[in-house]
Amino acid sequence: MARYAMVVDKERCVGCQSCTVACKSEWDVPNGHARTRVRSAGTNGTYPNFSSVFYVSQCNHCDHPTCVPACPTGATTQEPNGIVTVNTDLCIGCGSCVVACPYGARYVSPATDKVDKCDFCAARVEQGREPACVETCPAKAKIFGNLEDTSGRVFDLVYRKGARRFETREIALGPNVYYVGKQEHLEMAAASFSPQPPQILAAGFVWTKLAKKMVFLAVGATFLGQAVAFFRQLSVGEKQFED
Amino acid sequence: MPFETIPAIPLPLTAHQAEVMVQHQIKKHHVAIVLLHWFNAVVWMLELATGSALVVAPGYRFMPIWYITLMQQALGTSANLLRLHIAVGLIWTFVFLAYAIFGWKHYLHTEVLRNEIGIDRDDILWLKIRTLKLLNRTKAPLPPQGSYNAGQKLYALLVYSMVPVIMLTGLIMTFHLISTALVAWAMVLHFVAAGMVVSGLLVHVYMGAVFPEERPAFYSMITGLVDELYAYRHHFKWWREVKIEELKWAHAIDDEPVKPGSATPDEEADSALRS
Amino acid sequence: MMTISRRQFLKGTGVAAALGSVAGAQTFTPGTKGGKRVAMVPTNCEMCFWRCGVMAEVADGKVLKLQGNPHHPLTNGKLCARGNAGIALLNDPDRLKYPQIRTGERGEGKFKRVSWDEALDFLGARLKELKQKYGPESVAMFPHGVHSGFFATLMKAYGTPNSAEPAFAQCRGPRDIGYQLTFGRPVNSPEPVDLEESQCIVLIGSHIGENVFTSQVTAFADGLAKGAKLIVVDPRFSTAASKANWWLPIKPGTDTALLLAWMNVIVTEKLYDKDYLDTYASGFAELEAHVKDYTPEWGERITEIPAAQIRDTAHAMADAKPGVAIHPGRHVTWYGNDTQRARAMAILTALLGAYGRKGGIFLPTKLAQGKIPLPPMPESEKGRADRIGNLYPLASEEAHGLTQGLIETTLSANPYPIKGWIVYGQNVMESIPTRQKTLEAIKKLDFMAVVDVLPMEQTRYADLVLPEATYLERYDPPAIVTTAKRPYVSVRQPAVEPMYESKPGWWIAKQTAKRLGLEAYFPWTDPDDHLRRLIAPMNINESELKSLGAVSFPGKPYIEDRAESDGPLFPTQSGKIELSSSVLKDLNFDAIPKYEAVEEPPAGFLRLIYGRAPVHSFTRSENNAWLDDLMAENPVWISTVAAQNLGMHDGQRVVLENQDGVKSPVITLKVTTAMRNDVAYTVHGFGAQSAGLKKANQHGFSDTALMTRIAIDPLMGATGMRVNFVRVLTEEKA
Repeated sequence: MARYAMVVDKERCVGCQSCTVACKSEWDVPNGHARTRVRSAGTNGTYPNFSSVFYVSQCNHCDHPTCVPACPTGATTQEPNGIVTVNTDLCIGCGSCVVACPYGARYVSPATDKVDKCDFCAARVEQGREPACVETCPAKAKIFGNLEDTSGRVFDLVYRKGARRFETREIALGPNVYYVGKQEHLEMAAASFSPQPPQILAAGFVWTKLAKKMVFLAVGATFLGQAVAFFRQLSVGEKQFED
Repeated sequence: MPFETIPAIPLPLTAHQAEVMVQHQIKKHHVAIVLLHWFNAVVWMLELATGSALVVAPGYRFMPIWYITLMQQALGTSANLLRLHIAVGLIWTFVFLAYAIFGWKHYLHTEVLRNEIGIDRDDILWLKIRTLKLLNRTKAPLPPQGSYNAGQKLYALLVYSMVPVIMLTGLIMTFHLISTALVAWAMVLHFVAAGMVVSGLLVHVYMGAVFPEERPAFYSMITGLVDELYAYRHHFKWWREVKIEELKWAHAIDDEPVKPGSATPDEEADSALRS
Repeated sequence: MMTISRRQFLKGTGVAAALGSVAGAQTFTPGTKGGKRVAMVPTNCEMCFWRCGVMAEVADGKVLKLQGNPHHPLTNGKLCARGNAGIALLNDPDRLKYPQIRTGERGEGKFKRVSWDEALDFLGARLKELKQKYGPESVAMFPHGVHSGFFATLMKAYGTPNSAEPAFAQCRGPRDIGYQLTFGRPVNSPEPVDLEESQCIVLIGSHIGENVFTSQVTAFADGLAKGAKLIVVDPRFSTAASKANWWLPIKPGTDTALLLAWMNVIVTEKLYDKDYLDTYASGFAELEAHVKDYTPEWGERITEIPAAQIRDTAHAMADAKPGVAIHPGRHVTWYGNDTQRARAMAILTALLGAYGRKGGIFLPTKLAQGKIPLPPMPESEKGRADRIGNLYPLASEEAHGLTQGLIETTLSANPYPIKGWIVYGQNVMESIPTRQKTLEAIKKLDFMAVVDVLPMEQTRYADLVLPEATYLERYDPPAIVTTAKRPYVSVRQPAVEPMYESKPGWWIAKQTAKRLGLEAYFPWTDPDDHLRRLIAPMNINESELKSLGAVSFPGKPYIEDRAESDGPLFPTQSGKIELSSSVLKDLNFDAIPKYEAVEEPPAGFLRLIYGRAPVHSFTRSENNAWLDDLMAENPVWISTVAAQNLGMHDGQRVVLENQDGVKSPVITLKVTTAMRNDVAYTVHGFGAQSAGLKKANQHGFSDTALMTRIAIDPLMGATGMRVNFVRVLTEEKA
């Protein structure tokens, strides 16, 4: 069984957005949204000594995804190969997973009203091709492969070359998009785009903390009442009621 | 006719009277209502069975895993569960919408609604005694009730308020109306509304199908008829209305047109009662 | 596992895509997109002029996806953002859809829809009339791109020598002339810069990364990954600068001083490649004497780059020699002295022994190319109207002409009147500075025809508008590229039928020729025939070319690969690298570049400089829905210090006013610490003035509109455009 991962080489990336558009084209991503994004981490330093770096983001297919348990309908699941997928047949587009993702990798598509995000181009990978963003990248900054293939580049970069995950002490979900590059650049990007605490929608909060209890209470109470009546009915015998 | 005049309050019956009344069936539900009731019952069973298996996330989930797995397996996939849930829900909504549009005049005017959900002083008393009786705390007689007793009215009230919520939230989720935030809230409301209905449903089912006193009511939802004795004892006010109505009809047929100056059938019925 | 072997691919495509019509029923199952059965049609991209190889996935007459063509020897399956967004050009709802003839006043924008027959008859009649009244030279053409060859043939056959593209005088002319003078051949496109093998890359104003040509980005990233040192000279901390070992924020206009100071270090410290110079170069002694006084200390005073840094970077280059890639740049028409700056870059390259060497500038490899025999072209007695070879001695006839020269002549009727314009795919309003003149010239015309894909601004002033098919719908002459390490031929062939009533350029040209009785100049029957004739001597399999999209040949990129039979290494007059140019000497120009100061911005003004964004191709892509989504307007960048002096902040809405009082629309200010305080920077190509471009119209601002002043290079006529100054006004004050 494969375990897929992506490595982004920050020193190679020039921020040209080829990946963004290839992905848009591959998956009909509507304008105003993206499955993968390239953002500048700003500029650090003082004149004339500066550094700046791009941060390429997408779904991290985390080892312990917060989006999976956040999805009320179970539309979001994780495949054994690590790919986190959205079953659009089950998704109702409630947005619970969107706020649950610490990396902002998900959006509700105005085209389909379903949640959409990177799935490592699973359909292409199945055909033996690379994800669209990897294939198109002029700078060859994205490397995709199987973490369990010990002779592969991804394995090498992750286990031998110290490719880094973007996580914090608080939010450590085991993201499977890794980054390589100068320490300074990695830190800049990590500082600008550190994972945000997973959120729960107000509606979700009400469901889990209030509505569920309320419903249980109401149903439980009436059930109990009926049970009492029923046992009385049994103990007294039906005759009594028949005048 | 077991009575000379129509009594204003439920009087004790003689054995003979009871015998006659038990033989005499009066119509309680139109066949359309009977069909609608059972259609609704089937829909609810399906929707509850599928809907409850659709909520799988920990924290949200309220059914045991085995049940959810069972349902998923029964339909192949969760997606099929959702498809069925939506399809049935849409049919249900459509049928009731048609019912509301075409039956507007017959069913949805104030008088009918007062009958079905209007709670009066008798009803409140009824609820009190009914509860105490179930707990064996009183022997007091139940106050007279209309065509629906206070319990049924309360349940109707609940259903009438929750069903539109369920339908609307269902539509919002199905068609992703207005906004994602609304869909999320619709999800919660859908769940709460259905939960409330279920809590009422428990009483409804128990009272209708298990509780022996109301058994004729259960059968009336099949035949549309109840025996007069049951009506007299459980729905006296309604029984009396039916009787007055019968009297009106009798006058209308026997006496040809009502002569000017003479008493109207209502007045006549009133005097009959008074005597 | 992740790659498809060539054989597998061929089996999959099993293709022989016909060029004239759309590729047939060949399938590649399944396509990457949704598993649909698709035809894979390889073709050349035209989202810019680099002509990367694309594979169009086609199903049901629609392009589902574009991806890089893995068989393309230059771009190897890589594609930039614009290339990926080609579908949004194809499906652009604002495209020109049918031929139109003007009905209202010129510029009023009133047209009637006509048939192609009517439109071409009209064009033929007007061209005949102009020829009769004023002679054929009275018609000028403004084409763009390599594929404009069909129209070039048409207009030459018609009898006019007047044709000009911004590619020369507004873009890369100075550099090509500068390198030609030094090494005997122009740089050409794609630039043969051996970035991936380089030990030291030097970018002077070139901002690879923001300026994206896929193969160049790949080579750049590969080179850096292999450890090449990077020196970036730019007033702004560009993406490339962020990857550099040295960022030299040079004072604008002083690049030649830096180059001379570098030469000074290399010459005085004897860090040059002596053997190479002894063998291949002439004029070293003169150069040695010439650069003696241009010390790093002198350089520091001029360029504001510390002398130590000038020394360090010169040493870095010397350490890396000969593998030093000094990128000649592309858009180099900056200050009117640009040919001499290009010369300085060429000389520095030569000193380091980097021309024709691994990691430097590599040599082109000739390809045998088929010629289509044509009847002799009519000779014009009047000569060119743009004064090439007359006013500007080094502007060559074979180059792309001087656009502004043709505009001047249209206005002045000197040396003779120009009364008709054929504009083919060129944005004459936004590509050429002093647009007010362009507009005045257009208003003086008797006739203007515009052939284009989108309703660019000039369309409004045309008498005749002809809708061209996009590159995904048409055949164009193949790219025959010699400046690649493996020279190649690659094809542009239609992936789908032209939408609406649009027609390919070759068809329009051939049909027009018929109207003018010039059929003999279009002897080929159809695109297939055309291609076959051009590739005839290449000894390649035509169907393989069509199914793979490109076929490459062994290259001879380095001096050591060359044999006598490959021709002279340095085809200059002397056959040597001319450190001191005999041609310039003969013409009484500086044989070795000198530093000449350029005009400084007046107090309160910033020098307006401009560049590119990776998601746009000048003015060509602003209406592309996918690219507009990524970048819809161009903010103006100024430094934090400059902003503080003005009391302005990032994101503020401002207006630019140039030295001649011309104002920009209200635009967004971007404030950054990482640039010099004396410049204002923006991305070129925005601010379209065409209601027909629903997305692009009035998005951002046009830097061209603020270029009311130009500095013309006396050697070859290029228009330096970085001689305009702006001040930033608040929205209220403006």
